[in-house]
Amino acid sequence: MMNEKWIKVLVLTGLVLAVIFTPILLSAQTKMLQVKGSDTMVNLAQILAEEFMAQNPKMPIAVLGGGSGTGITGLINGTCDIANSSRDWKAKELNLAFEKGVKPRLFAVAVDGLSIIINEKNPLTKLTMEQVGAIYRGEVKNWKGVGGPDQKISLYGRQSNSGTYAFLMEHVMGNRPYSTDMKEMNGNAQIIEGVLADASAIGYVGVGYVVDKNTGKALKGLKILDISQAPNGTAYSPLDKTAVDSGQYPISRPLWMAVNGTPKDVAAAFLRYAVGPEGQKVVEREGFYTVGGRLQEQNQKNLK
Amino acid sequence: MSLRKRLILTTAAVLLTGLAGFAQQTFQTAVYFDYSHFITTDGYLTSNTLTNKFHFRRAYFTYENKINDRLKFRFRYDADNTANLTSVDFAKQTVKKDDKLRPFVKHLYLEWSPNFLASKVNAGMIETLAFKLAEDRWGYRSVAKTLLDGYKDITGVDVDATSADLGLSWKGILLRQLRFGLGVYNGSHYSHAETDKFKKFSGYLQLVPAAGLSLIGYVDYEKQTGDRKAMTTKVDVLFDMVRNLNISFEWFAYDSDNLLNSNGTHFKPSGWSVFGTYKIKPDKLAVFARYDRYEPNDTKADDEIGLIIAGFDWTPMHGSWKLQPNVWIYNYNDARKGDTIFNLTFFLSF
Repeated sequence: MMNEKWIKVLVLTGLVLAVIFTPILLSAQTKMLQVKGSDTMVNLAQILAEEFMAQNPKMPIAVLGGGSGTGITGLINGTCDIANSSRDWKAKELNLAFEKGVKPRLFAVAVDGLSIIINEKNPLTKLTMEQVGAIYRGEVKNWKGVGGPDQKISLYGRQSNSGTYAFLMEHVMGNRPYSTDMKEMNGNAQIIEGVLADASAIGYVGVGYVVDKNTGKALKGLKILDISQAPNGTAYSPLDKTAVDSGQYPISRPLWMAVNGTPKDVAAAFLRYAVGPEGQKVVEREGFYTVGGRLQEQNQKNLK
Repeated sequence: MSLRKRLILTTAAVLLTGLAGFAQQTFQTAVYFDYSHFITTDGYLTSNTLTNKFHFRRAYFTYENKINDRLKFRFRYDADNTANLTSVDFAKQTVKKDDKLRPFVKHLYLEWSPNFLASKVNAGMIETLAFKLAEDRWGYRSVAKTLLDGYKDITGVDVDATSADLGLSWKGILLRQLRFGLGVYNGSHYSHAETDKFKKFSGYLQLVPAAGLSLIGYVDYEKQTGDRKAMTTKVDVLFDMVRNLNISFEWFAYDSDNLLNSNGTHFKPSGWSVFGTYKIKPDKLAVFARYDRYEPNDTKADDEIGLIIAGFDWTPMHGSWKLQPNVWIYNYNDARKGDTIFNLTFFLSF
């Protein structure tokens, strides 16, 4: 009786295993490196991956967006190999990673001058950090309040899983919440579309999204505001590489790729390419800024 | 409709209406059902009468609204088909039941995340602290509850443990290596109104001495009427130090003055469980296995139950549906009895 029972168990288990593994074995492929996260970085990461794969066809890479928070969660849960983020990891993410045995190692692959954009019909040319913060907190609701036309301000921003959303809140808004009037868009492209269509709009996007690659200037229909750190200080443009590199442009940030522990195999090769001379040429071509100095030293150290 | 039900539904309606204007709202459903085939026919659970069935187990509908970066609201309906009393025939002194899935409020709470000790404060019909950490690690609620959560289902012993209750909890992080949780609830679960003046107090300390290793000590206490009391002590060890592999251990003991043998002597139930999951291909294929040991009555020598659960978690196409074939093998002290059940679990979430 017992034998009969176990034969049934084995037959059923065998059938189940066959059902499961047949399609998996049939579709067996080389393991693909999964890169996930920041929407600001998704185009850049995709182009870096394509150029890397052109040189290394046996090292496939898949790139997905979803926001910095999504990428970081994916790395912690083991559902991606590289997490892209346009902000630093939060304390709660580092705590969760520690609890789950994940040891994040971060590589700066590019520098972004986070760009504050308005419709070109708006005559304003510059704002201070404090003014940008007050606008996004909803404390200033009319352009007249910051020296612009008498028009209600339309706020365009990102959703809370976006690294850019978190970066602006931490570095510009004094960690105070966004106005509930802000339209939360899915990505950089949607913010640009919103600002192009709305004469009273303000938005924020990575510099790589607003620069016309042929002219090096803002995309037609948009105006990129100069930003000053102090109320009476000089305002700088995110298109000014020297100002971004020196920190005079006050809302620049590194764009990170993170792995769990020392990078190995395809991840190591890809990161070496991305932070190396060839990858950095791609970074520049895509409108972002190259990584130098201390960040590049840190990258080389983290590769070992 | 009882006053309590009316209060809950009115609060939910007001909050849903009031918060609907904000942008960060999500709706989510999760459903799981089984095709079960009883491999044995001579156990306590299996017989020749019923050898296989389709079985709808759970359907969740969750609405969440992130009001701002510090405040979140959650409303969750749960539906199961146990104990659906439909009518009472007073003449015949009988009740009628059916097995329709019926919804009930499982969660209805506000979550506040102040910028202090990475805290989360929950108020309302909230998740309790008892087995959330173990359940998150096990990760296969669709296949089986964790040891303490499912203890009553397996043994029939009335262990006072619930996944949700009306009350207040506070979780936080003192150091990266030391986390805590404190809670106070009615102690009457999400399915009953409070019937006494006593509240259940619970708390845990989680020590993370190294990346990927957690040691958790949990205790809850509720005074009962008269001189009686009830207390749960629980220990969890969570091991996540190898990539894609987690192994966990759970032990608990329940000591309630309400648990008495027929001769009036006091008994204590307890149990332990070891479980692990391995992601063969993350997001696509994982394997899980677990062994539970149940000791429903420490004054009896022949009532222990052993339970092995093992299976696969396969995502054939899209992450919104999964197939989780699994086997449950029960062992009893009476070696002539034994139950073996094969389930093909369908998990849908969207």
